[in-house]
Amino acid sequence: MSWIVRMVVVLPALAGLLGLLARRQRAVASAVAISVSAYVTVLGLIQWIAPSRSADIDTLGRLPLGDLAVPLHLLSDRVSGLVSFVVALVVLAIQVFTAWYLRDDPRYGQFAATVSLFASGMLLVVQSADLVLMLVGWEIMGWCSWLLIGHDSERPAARRAAYKAFLVTRVADIGMVVGIVALAARAHSTDLFAVLTATGEPALLTIGLVGVAIGVAGKSGLVPFHDWLPDAMEGPTPASALIHAATMVAAGTYVVARLFPLYAGHDGARTLLAVLAAVTMVYAALLAFAQTDLKRLLAYSTLSQIAVMLAALAAAPAPTPTDPRVGPGIAHLIGHAFFKALLFLGAGWLSVLTGATAIAALRGRLRRTGALRWSMGIGLAALAGVPPLIGFFTKDTVIDAALEGTGAGARIVVVALFVTVVLTAAYCTRAWLLLDTPVAATAPAPDDETAIVAEEDVAVVTAADSADDAEVERVHAHGHEPITLPAAFVVSVLAALTVVGTLFLSSLRGAVHVGLVGALLSVLLVAGAALAVWVLSDRGRSDVAERLPVSVRESAVRGFGADTAYAGFARAVTALARLVVVLDRDVVDAYPRATAAVARGAGRVGERSHRAVPSMSLLGLLCGVVLVAVLGVAAWR
Amino acid sequence: MKGLTIDYGVLLPALAPVAGLVLVLVADLLLPRLRRVPYAIAGLASLGSAATTLPGLSLGGGSTRETFCVTGGFGAGSSSLPAVDGLPQVCLWQADALGSTLQLAAAVSALVCIALAWPRSRRRRPTDSTREPVEAVLLLAALAGTVVVAAGRDVGTWLVALELATLPVIALVALSGRRSAVAGATQLLVTSLVSFALLVLGVALWFAATGSPFLTPDAALSSAGAFSAAGTAPTVVVWPSVSAGLVALATVLVLAGIGFKLSLVPFHAWTPTAYAGSSVPVATFLATVSKIAALAALLVVLRAVAVLGTPALLSIAVLASLSMTLGNVMALRQDDVVRLLAWSTVAQAGWVVLPLVSISALGVGASATYLLTYVVATLVAFAVVAVTLRDRPHDGRTIAAYEGLWQRSPWRAGALALALTSLAGLPPGIIGLVGKITALQPVVAEGWIWLAVVAAVNAVIGVAVYLRWLRAVITADASAAAFGTVTRRPVMVAGLVVAAAVLVVVSVQPDLLLRLLG
Repeated sequence: MSWIVRMVVVLPALAGLLGLLARRQRAVASAVAISVSAYVTVLGLIQWIAPSRSADIDTLGRLPLGDLAVPLHLLSDRVSGLVSFVVALVVLAIQVFTAWYLRDDPRYGQFAATVSLFASGMLLVVQSADLVLMLVGWEIMGWCSWLLIGHDSERPAARRAAYKAFLVTRVADIGMVVGIVALAARAHSTDLFAVLTATGEPALLTIGLVGVAIGVAGKSGLVPFHDWLPDAMEGPTPASALIHAATMVAAGTYVVARLFPLYAGHDGARTLLAVLAAVTMVYAALLAFAQTDLKRLLAYSTLSQIAVMLAALAAAPAPTPTDPRVGPGIAHLIGHAFFKALLFLGAGWLSVLTGATAIAALRGRLRRTGALRWSMGIGLAALAGVPPLIGFFTKDTVIDAALEGTGAGARIVVVALFVTVVLTAAYCTRAWLLLDTPVAATAPAPDDETAIVAEEDVAVVTAADSADDAEVERVHAHGHEPITLPAAFVVSVLAALTVVGTLFLSSLRGAVHVGLVGALLSVLLVAGAALAVWVLSDRGRSDVAERLPVSVRESAVRGFGADTAYAGFARAVTALARLVVVLDRDVVDAYPRATAAVARGAGRVGERSHRAVPSMSLLGLLCGVVLVAVLGVAAWR
Repeated sequence: MKGLTIDYGVLLPALAPVAGLVLVLVADLLLPRLRRVPYAIAGLASLGSAATTLPGLSLGGGSTRETFCVTGGFGAGSSSLPAVDGLPQVCLWQADALGSTLQLAAAVSALVCIALAWPRSRRRRPTDSTREPVEAVLLLAALAGTVVVAAGRDVGTWLVALELATLPVIALVALSGRRSAVAGATQLLVTSLVSFALLVLGVALWFAATGSPFLTPDAALSSAGAFSAAGTAPTVVVWPSVSAGLVALATVLVLAGIGFKLSLVPFHAWTPTAYAGSSVPVATFLATVSKIAALAALLVVLRAVAVLGTPALLSIAVLASLSMTLGNVMALRQDDVVRLLAWSTVAQAGWVVLPLVSISALGVGASATYLLTYVVATLVAFAVVAVTLRDRPHDGRTIAAYEGLWQRSPWRAGALALALTSLAGLPPGIIGLVGKITALQPVVAEGWIWLAVVAAVNAVIGVAVYLRWLRAVITADASAAAFGTVTRRPVMVAGLVVAAAVLVVVSVQPDLLLRLLG
């Protein structure tokens, strides 16, 4: 058992290394990436269904840090087993899909290796029972996300997006590190159990929990840090699927779930988390409604859904010995992993077919695509929360948990959740209507003219949010091979999991718990919102978002200036740094420079008095004798 | 002189150079044409001297290898000593671990100097001057003096040995015959004469104060402690305070006399002139063997005085801080590497005597440790200079000649870099750092905070001094083509290799050196 858990973490890292070494041989690289992720998936499955549920596992032995205990243990229990299996499964799907999607990319090998390493980081976070190991996995993901988003590094937009993601999450990681240090200092140990059971020092606890919450907000894209995620769409679609579905952004939820007993007992940190999550879910859903690019729409939906997971943890009632109460959040994490991976891979597939990701260019293109149409439909329905898909169950479990919760945070979350249900249903319906309604039926103008309009639209839109320029260029340049059977197969599997994945959750306590009132209400809300959008958009013939004022739409596409705010913040920091440099150079350094000048001047004086004349040396000698004799006799004790 | 026993085995380190000296003279008589024979004999003699010191290295704390032992009093001193029964026997030659280590260092340094001075051509043409045998004899004589002074314990041997270690060096400097060499030798001669006068005066005062011709702790005690210990015994020392003052004066006069040899400020003025005037091997000898002789002589006196419980000597502190500061500041301005090394010697001499402000076993050990680190690093630096000078006879002494050395000959540059960082006390020259810390330990332990601060400031200036040279070594050279003629110089390189190997070993394993000194 312990062997399996260690392998689950180590194998992807080794695969990453091997893939880098074999990056020139495309076949070897893809074989390594796919076979290792398949093997890890099998190991994850064994870990999940293995009879011995809970195990504390050694890794490298404890670090010799004196007073601070750093045992570096891994922990295998129901939650980590299930989550690591799902992560491995999604990574496998993405690796298979990538082998087709990036088949013309000269740097496929590096990409696949990075995905493997990324998976290793996520699995380390999932399996770790030690804050240090958790931080290591967290940092691996941060670094790999920079590589993945900036994969098309010849494009300035991709480079900028990669740096933006890196810097924003890095700034938030300051909070993460401070929080982990505070928690470890409080418990005199970095072991998870010691941290959870430590008592006393409320100030350190507050710093720790708020710090970790800030770090989580950065990686999971809660409100002040949310703007890096839509920009991260500059990466290839499989990278987006990886970051959004099962790994990086979800890692925050998992960390909070691991620390849940502490959060449950600390109202301040919990309320902070609840408010951030509530604001984010509503705000991101609103923005998703106005997006003109399919990938960015999905990105904002991710923000909203991650906030739903965190809200489940922020609002859930306190844990009892039999029920850790992390079920709803983890369940939504898993459900979201399935349908979001499905949606992203479907979007990638669609963009390959059409050579675009702007919704204007994609209108009606889902027709006549068979399996893809079904997959996108299932994915969007699950996102909207249509029963009996997995999204319905997990979302209503979250609503149920929030209704059970007490305190101001829980009430805010309940209200936000219902608003989000309406908005999610609305933007999913809008997306489906736009993608699926044939253009010929809506536009009186001939087809080719529409196409030209669409291209112009793309041009207009790309100025603001060129989500997948690389894909557009790639397809326009030399076309793309039709989808391979394995790639289509993994999309279909993900679609199937979205339908029946609820069965997976049965092993997790409290993962599916749908209250009758909440369920009825949400189904009604979903249906109402869908109907409203259907009517307002004239049965799909027009874009319902066009009913919004143009200025609002345009600034929504740009994220309401969050990017400008980030740039302003960065400029302020660099200005401060420049000030410090000036102070250091002109004030602090003046003293060393003065020392140098004094030494040089003294040397000049000395040189003048050191001509090679014996009498001068005799004079010095005599002076020295007098000096030494006087001092020697006077100071003799 | 009753009961005088002589153990020639113990005397071998000194006998080997003397025997070599005789052999060189004989060889010169028989085979005057062969230029390399004198150096070969001198090298073998110093090698023998080094080898015979080895038994003394493993001596534990306190035990010595002794010879020339007499029991009871000696000469005029016996009448002034109280007749205490069971007075331990006094030995005129005492080589303990510290003394043996210094002897070994002197012999190895001399060996490297001889390798650096190895003549280029095998045979002498009739028109050439007869330099080689003279140089070899002088080198061996100075080495013999150094070895003896480290072990001699009576004032006569001590004074003669010290002069034996000094006077041949003056001749060596003058031997190259250049104008600058004569100037340097003159200055050296004048200073050394005055210093010798001071030494003799100091020794005379010592004899007056203690009534003993031995530079031993027992003798020092007899000036102050003995009469109080044996209260019933009649004493000739009527005024104890006067006697203590005499011992103090004697000590500081000896310090002043030896300060000249150590090139402590203000007795240093001869140093740059003499170094620059002499050939590089002779400068190397001046910078290493002469310094060992001087410190060994000083330690003999200070270890004797240590039993008086004198906590510290202000004059040493003043000399040390003056030397460090002036040496570093002046070294910072030199463009001639030999002059730079000369001023660096002045600065390092300050560091060598720095721990002696605490006249104790700790201070003595620290001082010897620092001297050895300095000697090893300086040997390597001078050896690199000598090899470079052989390649580029015209401009090899300027720092500019070392630009791009890293590209041209990385091994030589690596040895130089290690030597310079050791002198500066920076990694990778770990041994320099260890030496500086060891030297500061007694200073801080005795509470000389101002002196520690001065030393720290000088450590920083010293870094600038050596990095200035090092930067030239590792920066790329645009005119790499301006490369001197490559001559065959296997023996010279062997000397460099020996010195560098020692430096690398003690840098990797500094406790080897620390253990050597007990």
